[in-house]
Amino acid sequence: MILLVGRVEAGCGIVIKENRRNKGREFCRALGIIAALLLSFFAWNPAASAKVYIDIDSPAFQKFPVAVQDFRALGEGEDKEGSAAFFADELGKLLEMTGFFRVIPREAFLEDGATAGITAPEIRFGDWLSIGADFLVKGGFEYKDDELVSEFRLFDVVRGSLITGKRYIGRPDDRKTMVLKFAEEILLALVGEHGVFDTKIAFVVKKGDNSELYTVSFDGTNMKEITNYETLTILPRWSPEGERLAFVSYLRGNPDSYILHLNSGRREVLTDFPALNIPSSWSPDGKEILMVLGKDGYNDIYVIEVESKRLRRLTHSPSIDVSPSFSPDGSQIVFVSNRSGNPHLFIMDSKGRSVRRITFEGTNNTSPRWSPRGNEIVYVGLVEKRFQLFTIDAKGGNNTQLTYFDGDCFDPSWSPDGRYLVFTLRRAGIEKVCIINSTGVNLRIIEGADSAKNPAWSPRLDSD
Amino acid sequence: MKRNWRFMWSMAVISMFVLVALGGCACFQETAVKETPAPVAEKPTEPAAAPVKATDEDAAKVAAMREKLVAEAHAFGERHIHFAFDRYDLNDDARAYLNELGGWLKKNKNFDVIIEGHCDERGTAEYNLALGERRATAAKNYLVNLGVDAKRLSTISYGKERPLDPRSCEEAWAKNRRARFNVFPTTW
Repeated sequence: MILLVGRVEAGCGIVIKENRRNKGREFCRALGIIAALLLSFFAWNPAASAKVYIDIDSPAFQKFPVAVQDFRALGEGEDKEGSAAFFADELGKLLEMTGFFRVIPREAFLEDGATAGITAPEIRFGDWLSIGADFLVKGGFEYKDDELVSEFRLFDVVRGSLITGKRYIGRPDDRKTMVLKFAEEILLALVGEHGVFDTKIAFVVKKGDNSELYTVSFDGTNMKEITNYETLTILPRWSPEGERLAFVSYLRGNPDSYILHLNSGRREVLTDFPALNIPSSWSPDGKEILMVLGKDGYNDIYVIEVESKRLRRLTHSPSIDVSPSFSPDGSQIVFVSNRSGNPHLFIMDSKGRSVRRITFEGTNNTSPRWSPRGNEIVYVGLVEKRFQLFTIDAKGGNNTQLTYFDGDCFDPSWSPDGRYLVFTLRRAGIEKVCIINSTGVNLRIIEGADSAKNPAWSPRLDSD
Repeated sequence: MKRNWRFMWSMAVISMFVLVALGGCACFQETAVKETPAPVAEKPTEPAAAPVKATDEDAAKVAAMREKLVAEAHAFGERHIHFAFDRYDLNDDARAYLNELGGWLKKNKNFDVIIEGHCDERGTAEYNLALGERRATAAKNYLVNLGVDAKRLSTISYGKERPLDPRSCEEAWAKNRRARFNVFPTTW
């Protein structure tokens, strides 16, 4: 199956400029979409693609108002699947989910989507400006035999111009993927970076005394059970290429560590020493894993080479040392130790040297995870009898409380773009996997499992 | 571990039947159980051995003794020792329990122990796994200091994964911060 991504310089027909083979990623294989850039009626200015419309790091950042109009049926065929509303609704939902957009309700629209044009010359941008839209998405679709062709266009309402447009050709059941792909385009065009539309979250579902691993797409769809071990299985950790999951399981009675190869379903033992075996953090190159091992009587931090299983011990403390997490470049490690009496965060280099403490507030600071952006570390701190999420920088500065829930937060994990956090929220005895923006706002609960915990956010799974 | 205990339990019951069937073969009796085991405060529990018609008086006595020991072992598992939040040091009650268990284990050398360490729901999974390990190890070390052979004692941490009481309140947390002792017969 071939994925074609095309781009057109000027409006004179579709020219396929790039032709990339599917790299075998599940995401692409599943669809076989042929995507081609739709012809633009305005000359495309390549420099515009580098421009960042939205500075989401600005302290004054406010959600950007976007209107998504119902898509137009372009051909003769009937819209049996309700695609007109589907494309608009799903895209609107994804944009809301990013936390960067406010989607204007369609009741406010002055134009009738069924008849309005979808190209810039046909659009009365003044009408959209007057309802407060900064950006506008329009599109169309056509069912041809067993194919679905869709066009997506993003407009800058203030300038009255097209920002980006795409045409996708696929099977009718690829329509969600088309929406995901265009949502990614919008983010790239407006924010200047990739989104998380092709990521998953691995997590743990409690089943009586036991628990199993699950995965779910970032938007809460496609929930799947991926183990059926009928024992306690916890703490999944994605490898950097997204094809392996390391975890802890009591399959043989002891908390041993395993690696599950997601494509083949093969499971291998990583370590099965006496006492604890916890895989905590993959190195950026995917060749090593930071481990917590209890084999020498204390719980200390080791690094294991995944291929050779060769171990290097990094801490030699009689205290509890757990939850090591690599910095994005692999040069430093943040971890938890109770060597000073209570659990606090410490940083050491990748050889276990230059150990320094970075948290001094509170009495219980655990679960640090280094942001993929490198500038901050999220952790769980106990404040007023509640466990909340905090961030702190590697020097111990900028200690900031992110959450103020009437409940407890555990197991934070960053999205690969460092814009979101997934974590366990326990309220009234019920555990749910939840997502917030890295600023602590825009809470979203992943529903569908009664008791879900230990979430881990995957890397981007579709490289295209 | 539940499964393991059940397995040991049924093995014990089967062994007793075999023993009775053999007509009181004294060579099976590896341990001289002369002293009376320490009285167990809890109810010495449940069935274990099915009603057996003593064909031989000695066999019946041995069977009864074993039944009693297994019941005592089981009773140790019904009682837990408890810990303070984020602590793994042993309090007075825990020491009293361990003194009792240690004495019993020294007398009954054909019983081993799996010590489970557990935590309350507060704190993260990884830290609690380590903490549970510490609690189990603290109990193990205490028993070793009393003279119990370390080889007979193993530890396993369940962290906060298997609470006894699922509620979120002080009472439940106190119950859940525990070490449990799975005392099982190794040979008969």
